Amino acid sequence: MSALAAGSDFLPPGGMTLEAVARALAGRFEVRDGRSARALDRTYYDTFDGLVHGAGLTLSHGAGTLTLSERDSGAERARLAMASPGERLLTGDLAVSPMRDQLREVVEVRALLPIARVRIRTRAFQVLDDERKTVVRMMLEQPELMNSRGDPALGTRVRVLPVRGYDEELALVRRTLEGELGFAPAPQPLVDEAVKASGGDPAGISSKIVVPLGAQERADLATIAVLRRLEAVIEANLEGTIADLDSEFLHDFRVSVRRTRAVQRELKALFPPEELRHFRSEFRWLQQVTGDSRDLDVYVLGFESMRALVPETMRDDLEPLLAVLRRRRGAARRKMVRAIRSKRTAALLSEWSSFLTELPDRPEEDRADAGQPISAVAAGRIRKVYRQMVKMGRAIDKDSPPEDYHELRKKGKELRYLLELFGAPLYPGEVVKPMIKSLKALQDVLGLHQDREVQVATLRSLEHEVDAAQGGTGALMAMGVLVARLAEDELAARATFAERFAVFASKAQRKLVTDTFA
Amino acid sequence: MSRILATYNIKGGVGKTSAAVNLSYLAARDGARTLLWDLDPQAGATYLFRVKPKVRGGGGGLVRLKSDVEDLIKGTDHPGLDLLPADFSYRHMDLALDGFKHPTRRLARVLEPLTGEYDYVFLDCPPSISLVSESVFEAADALLVPVVPATLSSRTLEQLEDVVDGGSAGDLRLLPFFSMVDTRKKLHREVVERVRAERAGVLEAEIPTSADVERMGAYRNVLCAFAPRSRAAGAYEALWREVRARVGEG
Repeated sequence: MSALAAGSDFLPPGGMTLEAVARALAGRFEVRDGRSARALDRTYYDTFDGLVHGAGLTLSHGAGTLTLSERDSGAERARLAMASPGERLLTGDLAVSPMRDQLREVVEVRALLPIARVRIRTRAFQVLDDERKTVVRMMLEQPELMNSRGDPALGTRVRVLPVRGYDEELALVRRTLEGELGFAPAPQPLVDEAVKASGGDPAGISSKIVVPLGAQERADLATIAVLRRLEAVIEANLEGTIADLDSEFLHDFRVSVRRTRAVQRELKALFPPEELRHFRSEFRWLQQVTGDSRDLDVYVLGFESMRALVPETMRDDLEPLLAVLRRRRGAARRKMVRAIRSKRTAALLSEWSSFLTELPDRPEEDRADAGQPISAVAAGRIRKVYRQMVKMGRAIDKDSPPEDYHELRKKGKELRYLLELFGAPLYPGEVVKPMIKSLKALQDVLGLHQDREVQVATLRSLEHEVDAAQGGTGALMAMGVLVARLAEDELAARATFAERFAVFASKAQRKLVTDTFA
Repeated sequence: MSRILATYNIKGGVGKTSAAVNLSYLAARDGARTLLWDLDPQAGATYLFRVKPKVRGGGGGLVRLKSDVEDLIKGTDHPGLDLLPADFSYRHMDLALDGFKHPTRRLARVLEPLTGEYDYVFLDCPPSISLVSESVFEAADALLVPVVPATLSSRTLEQLEDVVDGGSAGDLRLLPFFSMVDTRKKLHREVVERVRAERAGVLEAEIPTSADVERMGAYRNVLCAFAPRSRAAGAYEALWREVRARVGEG
């Protein structure tokens, strides 16, 4: 049990003001009626995708304190004195503290953004025993949304906060509130009510793609549903990508573009070929113009782990490299933002949207699979791509050129998207899940191989620029060590490949794929 | 891990309880999860926090690990500060401890389940030399010793050093500080000066004699809470800063 045990919120019967609630409570209990009401501004924070909410927590800032508490009970987990975090809070900017550690575990690299602002009139109440000792704390709160434009008002609520060791008194207070006074337990915490009233979703905006599909559904309609969801994720992440709120916006944006392209390529017989060619080429362009920026995000984010690869005495020597990477990242971002804001992108997204809307009404003669059941079409592709991978993988040995590994990895991504987008909703989890797992294990090793290959090439390409910087000579030497270590990793990845591939392409697995995706 | 800090002096009436309640209050106010265990059967700290001086199972139940210590803790009126109350039975705690093979290790055992839950645990000890105080020396990371600047106080301090060094108290830190200092009294000024000249390690902060400190009993509240701007409260603030710097954050 924590020092602060569970508490909870109650709503007074309709229309009661703060003062009326105070009078009603004072009539029933021996209380200390703190002071007259005071106003308190509170801003709630969460990541774009609601990670704090998902972890059952609430993060708020008010009165110079950042507070992390449990959603249901209101029990405090951590607090940290700080001036207003403003429009964006990154855990990396926080002072070393239990608050930072706990938040980092929940949100990782994601930025915490304001999700609702409220001004609360509060009045503190304490229920006392015969020694005039506080046995239950209550906080009367009358919140209103800030910056509201005729938004619905938020209800008055009473927060009942337990004092440790006084459970009987707490139970009595709760019974009295619910019984005699007609209060109701609040169905949701204040943060949820405030976020909904400001037009948001307390759970955040997810970039996960979960589209339920029926096995007999027409393949084109099922696929359009999936593509619509991908389109929504692309749109949802545009603004955060441009504003550079955190690196995940661009990442989720690119994953959705890549998944869209995989669907276009793998299920091409659902689309009129002429237009498909156009969209495939435009989405490829969108993928390309965002690529450098993402790569450099990864370098900057992963710099600490790269630093850890060189001996401790050389780590500080790598600083000029970080400066060069940051500069490059800035330049790549500017270029990318121009491209994303261009007419070409706007036209692509709006044309794609219209195309998806109109597709079901188009003639079917050049869309051979459109009317087939989605389960049949998806199964055919999954089986096919799996077989292609088995064939490609068998041809790879320790001396194969890096391109062979890279091609296999690209194929693996296609299979993974097919399995996730179509396999998971249509086929038994006990087949699909282990298959995705063994595929992931294989992809991890291929990914490491490819990353190291590219990193070595990138580092080489930066040598000139780093050399010109102050401290460049030391940095070059450290980079030499780094390159050697990265190359070792690449070799190690090759050594692991055979073992991972054997699991992925085992006889049992091949039979399972043939039987399931018949 | 909790830091365990005990306020202790062989003599009574030196400002021990006052230090324990004010320092634990300040620790909690700064955001540390804090527990005060009132080990003194006179129950001064318990009275100040308006908690009933009653512990189910008594001191015996605690040291025999029969009572669940977590169920006996009471929240105070101050957020973040909890109290393990005194009980009249604590006056027999020596007897309860005497039955064990390693009696001086018992209090540490009692506190064990709480170490993850609190950043600081304060022990307010009864004035005596006994198995209880030895047990406290064993459990504590630091001993806060209020010293009234009278002629005998230097001797008290020496006595205490002998006791601590002679025992198995490991790396217990001794943190003496002057308490109930009346700077109008020549004797007080002289003793403070002499002791500071003779020995290192006496903390800088000095707690003055003060009507405010005495008013705690009448108000049944912590000085630093009801008169935070008073001179004595300021002295406790300074003392807390010093102690925290010595023992580290919890």
